[in-house]
Amino acid sequence: MNKEEARLLFMDYMYGELDQDQEQELLSYIRQHDDLRQELEELTEAKSLLQHLPVESPKEQLVIMEPEIKATTHWWKGLFSSLIPTSTFARTSFGLVASVFLFVILAASTDLNMSLNDNGFNLTFGEQPPVQQGFTPEQVQLIVDQVQRQNAQMVNRIVTDAQVQQNLLLDETLSSFASYLEDQRNYDLQQIAQGITSLEQTTFNRFLQTDQVLGEIIQTVSYEN
Amino acid sequence: MEDAQLVNDFLGGNHQAFNKLVGRWQDRIHHFAYRYFASSDDAAEITQKTFIKAYQKLDSLDDAQKFGSWLYRIANNLCLDELKRAGRKRGTSLEALKTAPQAPAVSGADSKLVRNEAIVLLHRALLQLPNEQRMVVIMKEYEGMTFPEIAEILDEPLNTVKSRLYYGLKALKKTFDSWNINKEVFNYE
Repeated sequence: MNKEEARLLFMDYMYGELDQDQEQELLSYIRQHDDLRQELEELTEAKSLLQHLPVESPKEQLVIMEPEIKATTHWWKGLFSSLIPTSTFARTSFGLVASVFLFVILAASTDLNMSLNDNGFNLTFGEQPPVQQGFTPEQVQLIVDQVQRQNAQMVNRIVTDAQVQQNLLLDETLSSFASYLEDQRNYDLQQIAQGITSLEQTTFNRFLQTDQVLGEIIQTVSYEN
Repeated sequence: MEDAQLVNDFLGGNHQAFNKLVGRWQDRIHHFAYRYFASSDDAAEITQKTFIKAYQKLDSLDDAQKFGSWLYRIANNLCLDELKRAGRKRGTSLEALKTAPQAPAVSGADSKLVRNEAIVLLHRALLQLPNEQRMVVIMKEYEGMTFPEIAEILDEPLNTVKSRLYYGLKALKKTFDSWNINKEVFNYE
């Protein structure tokens, strides 16, 4: 403990708000410091002098008057005070019950309807709007059959169209191939004809040359003879 | 019946319960205000205003068990408001007090007169304290509140309250010495 801490405890000590251990510690410390002891004595003296200040009591008793209420409302007040409880909890409960009762009355008188579905929360008053009913099992089966039929027809049509298309493509391909073969044959024939013509020409020329050579040979032999 | 029960009765519509609370607390609030202003008229006015305000605002009291602290807080605020409102007038009055009076020497002739004069000087010494120190001295010395209660009413830290009381008592001791007020003045018969 230091002097500042001791001074902090002066007020608690003077007014008896210090526990026994702290009090012993403070008194022990003060005994070792004359200046603190002197200061505590001065504070205690100031405190004791203040006790001589007399007390002055009020001259008259205050009375808070109850607010004046018109006589015509007295029976209402009596009725309400007899119906409404006084404690906060009971008043709150009474208020909640009254609110629920009022809500039920209003709901009944206005045909209130509340519902919760996939589209959200519905709150309606009065006559109910027509509500769309769900399909019966027979209707569902009918719809399924119809859908199946439509699907089968559609698949059949698609397959037929595909076959026709495929046949057309095949015909076109075969036709093209035949045209190609024909063209190739004609070309080959032309080549062969040209070859034969060329061969005939060559053979003819050989014959001519042979004849010419033979003529020369014969002429030569004749001269020698 | 406890204060809290009377508070709840009043909130439940029983106006007489509030008059019982007034009967219980009027003297203490009056003493508090009287020591703060050293004036019977001011004390009566503050007391009346305190209970009128309490009557109007009692439904805002969170904890009925703390009615006493709450009432002192109202009185405290009204005292401060009164000081602000009439600060100029009171300032002049306190200025006049600074001309140091002296307790008459006790000569045995008229001890009652001497004692009365010393009481007047005690009150003047209290009035010379700064407002916040005077408030704590009155609450602790005369109203007998604990330090935590005072701290709650003034909404100040505990050590601040103790510090104000410490410096308040030191200032009072200094004033008493300079005005020659001591225990012999009061012990003389």
